[in-house]
Amino acid sequence: MSGKMRILASLVAIAIVAVALGVWIIRGPGPLDFAGGTKVALADHRAGKPTGVPAKLEKAGIVERGEYLAKAADCMVCHTKPGDKEYSGGLGFKLPFGTLYSTNITPDKETGIGNYSDQDFLNAVQHGKRHDGARLYPAMPYTSYTYMTDEDVLAVKAYLFSLPAVRAKAPENTLSFPFNQRWAMIFWSAVFNPDTRFTPDSSKSPEWNRGAYLAEALAHCGECHTPRNLGFALDNRKKFGGAITAGWRAFNISSDKAMGLGNWRDEDLISYLSLGHAPGHGSASGPMGEAVDRSFSQLAPEDIRAIVVYLRSVPPVLSPDLPATTAPVAPASHKDGVTADARGKKVFASACASCHGWSGESPVSPMATLTGTWAVNDPAATNVAQIVLSGTKRHTPDGALSMPAFGNAYTDDEIAAVANYVTARFGTKGSKLTAKDVAELREQTAE
Amino acid sequence: MHMATTLTINGETKSFDAPPEMPLLWVLRDILGMTGTKFGCGIAQCGACTVHVDGKAVRSCVLPVSAVANHAITTIEHVGNTPSGAKVQKAWLDLEVIQCGYCQSGQIMAAAALLAATPNPDDSDIDAAMAGNICRCGTYVRIREAIKQAATGRQS
Repeated sequence: MSGKMRILASLVAIAIVAVALGVWIIRGPGPLDFAGGTKVALADHRAGKPTGVPAKLEKAGIVERGEYLAKAADCMVCHTKPGDKEYSGGLGFKLPFGTLYSTNITPDKETGIGNYSDQDFLNAVQHGKRHDGARLYPAMPYTSYTYMTDEDVLAVKAYLFSLPAVRAKAPENTLSFPFNQRWAMIFWSAVFNPDTRFTPDSSKSPEWNRGAYLAEALAHCGECHTPRNLGFALDNRKKFGGAITAGWRAFNISSDKAMGLGNWRDEDLISYLSLGHAPGHGSASGPMGEAVDRSFSQLAPEDIRAIVVYLRSVPPVLSPDLPATTAPVAPASHKDGVTADARGKKVFASACASCHGWSGESPVSPMATLTGTWAVNDPAATNVAQIVLSGTKRHTPDGALSMPAFGNAYTDDEIAAVANYVTARFGTKGSKLTAKDVAELREQTAE
Repeated sequence: MHMATTLTINGETKSFDAPPEMPLLWVLRDILGMTGTKFGCGIAQCGACTVHVDGKAVRSCVLPVSAVANHAITTIEHVGNTPSGAKVQKAWLDLEVIQCGYCQSGQIMAAAALLAATPNPDDSDIDAAMAGNICRCGTYVRIREAIKQAATGRQS
């Protein structure tokens, strides 16, 4: 080898090492690496069964088991456009570089997945590879579903194939270059899809393992609640630290006592997941409201408890932009407390005060109490503005309670003003939203 | 699913069957036949359905009946028997506040709750308490005047 060749070879070697190191650093740890226990193959795991369905469904047919798992994986919310047939796709995810539409996963042969073999379905759900060989965009959380067992994925398939076929072709994606180059997802997937099935941790309890499987492989909590890295994949160094997804803020669900769930009682977490409300912590709205309605509220109580056990074990992560504590109850009189933003106050008096009260403690229902919620304590007011725009509805055993959508009734300017007033009066620090910010939030909501 | 429910309305105990999620307004109007409380928008945005729950003005159209068991409910049929309600109704008549009247039971209930909590309201107090009660006839000027008269007992 000549001197020049040797230099060239060294440079190439250095470049390869640098790229590999870069990839390794960006990719970071996997979603379950924090636990650090002893992993055993699922087949060798004896302490309980972390995968599959709860005991009461163990003897049920594959379609019924698949239905439970499809709910636990929350397939329907993304694969249904509001007002259209369930699972027929067409919901648009608005990204900064275009809109991505969910697909029809009913068994229609032409527009759905009717021609998918078992292997095709496994390829799509676990590997992000479509029937025709094209790559899926990671809006489909296959990097989470990849942890599902083949048996569970195929049960979901059996359930989907038991549904009526709906002929519905999703609109073409409108992504701009270079994001419209699907083939590039091969590289993304190679780096960011762990492409591995769930491995139990023998040092942890059966409940923890079940919770880990439900939260990571099925419920894919991290897809909204974990911040993303440079490659737009989950950054598990800040696992469950909170992030903005589809224009809504998914708050910190790590075990941090101030900003996460560390100070929530078990019954609060169980209530929030199964009813969408916990006293003093507010009500689930937007994407989490959908997750509660379509998924968590339909899970077996022991599965909800398992998720709670698992969530408690996730190490604390800080959310630097949130206050250390939520604000106390505001004064009962409109004259006391924060009085700034006359316009916001006017809107609040006309449209909000009758249900939320001037103190933030609702005279109508604890579900409408603003005090103590992260939404009003977020100085960015993201979710306050979103809930004002699109409203919210909660179902409980005692009935439904809803807040109307004000998006068509008030201007962006008025919505910004009322969000700023609400965060200043009921939260720790008032937001500074402008009409432009509200217009942008409107743009980001999936529809 | 219907459930036997017991409420305290205008000091009387009323028992009836209703689904727990049924809004109080439906119970009042359709089950108990108390039609003084009006349906306006159904989404707590107009104030026509205002009643008192433990003395506070609440929109009955969004209030599930299951949420008000063990609370004292007062409606327009009875508010004249409360001190602030009596003053408000007298001022309303003295000043001929009402035009078409549809929103007025809600206006009176909101005004009575305001005076019970704030006996001498200024304009900003009236704004804060009454802004959510809409009057399509535009009687707002007379409403404000009547609240002040009810508070002070003299014509302004």
